Amino acid sequence: MKNKYLNLNDIYLKDERFRISYFFSLEELALSLKKIGLIYPPLVSFRNNHFILVSGWKRVLACSQISLSSIPVFVVEEEDELKTFLIAFYENLATREFSLLDKAEILRKLKEFGEAKRNILEFYMPLLNIPQTLSHLDMFATFSQFEPELKEFIHEKHIPFASLEMLAEFNSSERRLLLPLLLPLGQNKQKEILENLREISLKNDIPAEKVLKSAEILEIVDSEKLSPLQKANKIRILLKRKRFPHLYSWKEAFDSFLKKACWPEDIAINHSPFFEDEDVTVHFNFKNEKEFKSHLLKLQEVASKKEFSRLFKLFSDD
Amino acid sequence: MIESDYTPQKIFIERNSLDFALTKRIIKNTSRVPKEIVDNPHELIEDLKVTRNAIQEGKKYLLLTKQRGEFVKPCPCTPHYIGCNYFIINLELNCPLDCSYCILQHYLSNPLITVHVNLKDLWRELDIFCNKNRKRAFRIGTGELGDSLALDHMTEISKDLISYFRGKRNVYFELKTKTTNIRNVLNQEPADNIVISWSLNSSKMALELERGAPEVEERVYAARRVLEKGFRVGFHFDPLIRYPGWEQDYEELIKMLMKTIEPARIAWMSLGSLRFPPLLKSIIKKRFPKTKIFYDEFIKGKDGKFRYFKPLRIELYKKIISFIKKNGGSDVPLYFCMESEALWREVMRWVPKGKKEVERSLFLPFG
Repeated sequence: MKNKYLNLNDIYLKDERFRISYFFSLEELALSLKKIGLIYPPLVSFRNNHFILVSGWKRVLACSQISLSSIPVFVVEEEDELKTFLIAFYENLATREFSLLDKAEILRKLKEFGEAKRNILEFYMPLLNIPQTLSHLDMFATFSQFEPELKEFIHEKHIPFASLEMLAEFNSSERRLLLPLLLPLGQNKQKEILENLREISLKNDIPAEKVLKSAEILEIVDSEKLSPLQKANKIRILLKRKRFPHLYSWKEAFDSFLKKACWPEDIAINHSPFFEDEDVTVHFNFKNEKEFKSHLLKLQEVASKKEFSRLFKLFSDD
Repeated sequence: MIESDYTPQKIFIERNSLDFALTKRIIKNTSRVPKEIVDNPHELIEDLKVTRNAIQEGKKYLLLTKQRGEFVKPCPCTPHYIGCNYFIINLELNCPLDCSYCILQHYLSNPLITVHVNLKDLWRELDIFCNKNRKRAFRIGTGELGDSLALDHMTEISKDLISYFRGKRNVYFELKTKTTNIRNVLNQEPADNIVISWSLNSSKMALELERGAPEVEERVYAARRVLEKGFRVGFHFDPLIRYPGWEQDYEELIKMLMKTIEPARIAWMSLGSLRFPPLLKSIIKKRFPKTKIFYDEFIKGKDGKFRYFKPLRIELYKKIISFIKKNGGSDVPLYFCMESEALWREVMRWVPKGKKEVERSLFLPFG
């Protein structure tokens, strides 16, 4: 490798054949460059009358952001595409952790540059901490095909593998419809939306797109009164209700019982998880004898109401 | 399975298992199947695991090896639900049938169909086990980690097992199958403590989900032949599955069954609704993407497995039991596989005090 100074304009950034990462924030690196300059020169290669970047995209983009005109680079003299890509791969492997999207890009490029499938499975996938199975290889290939705006969302929200797997089950236009619903939510709620939507679609043989374009969902989406977070949550609950109609009707019956029985607010009452057992638990806090007796009186009052016996009928088929 | 007995593409024999009598018998019964002697079956297993569909690939091969652990174990059942105190003999692992709901897809780490050939160790272990439990009645069977009869045309193991258990009056030995591979059973002298049982489902579910298994009518016909020979028979409605039209389909199945089989010769029937650990769902989604059975209302049970929301299970069981009773099966001993106290109370109208009471309730017809 030769050391050389290059004008930033002489690096042809449109050629991204060796690029692994597409999403990173440049602020901290730009500050570091301003303070101490560029210590590790990026790697470039001369191909088709251009210098193209092999490794160091973040460094070059940060240099460009702070308007440096020329930078030191190492020129890679290797001509073979795969071997050149491996230089980029190993340089990155040694210095940082790859995101799921980086890994997807690496596997895609290894394949494109002609690396044998068996080598990818047996050698590179363990290096990337990916289980050595063909289905994982296929799955990462799908991730690499995700739309750019979805990739940006995945990067920003640190979406885990399980959710990416679910996203991969939708087509491109469904993913576009889903994106605004997923953006305001945390990971668990995102997963809930994806899972319920997928399963409603599969169970009823309706494309997910049709579910997302149903009148009741569009009404929420088009509402001007609701914030993006409120819309996402409303749709999440709607999907859950569609997916689990019986469970929801039991929950509603339980809540309605509490309302009708005027259940005291400072005494918690819970059914067993998913009503699997007949047990109901009651919980209250007290600081002294007076508070304790007051809670007991409230419970006694509720128990003496006609509605109270309805509680036990809720859990019985009789 | 008589017309289409399972034949592996190749039999791998672990070098240290070559001299066992069962190995020799299987070799004799599979003269046209290529064989390969291997020193380390784990390498084979690891190679299989990286294939795209390791479970399906594994079904193409038979491995003859030694059981290094215990042959006899209590059925693991599931925590927080009532079991039936069953004991299992781990003689074979895996199964040539490919039922989409099968728990073995998740449970077994070895995708090869495996036969443990060190039978002398099995008999020794069984002698000790039976002697230890000689003062009580118990049930034991081979159909937990594989199908009891699917390989029987190669192993002929049913003959050995029936002979072993025939004289042991306190032991109820069960061969559990979905196949019609009953040739060897029919050549054996029956005994009242030997139960040959079939897993049954509606014709629609059997056709859609039980790849490689004979039609339900054929299974019931095989049961009748076994019964005519003098054996007792059992039936396992497991997994019961809800789908549009399930009531009618299960009613038809039970009508057909009870018309063909004399209820008094039915040793027991078990009922279990579809249940699965979370990881099995993702395996099945990959292997059988068209399967819709997992998109009903499943909740996470107390054991962490998904099962139908309780009112749906109650409805399912009540209907099935009413079909059994309506068709002459009022006296057939029934039990649930892995169900809760609440459900026993609601459906059976009694709650066993534990797995031993379930077990005892099944022995009544034997006096």
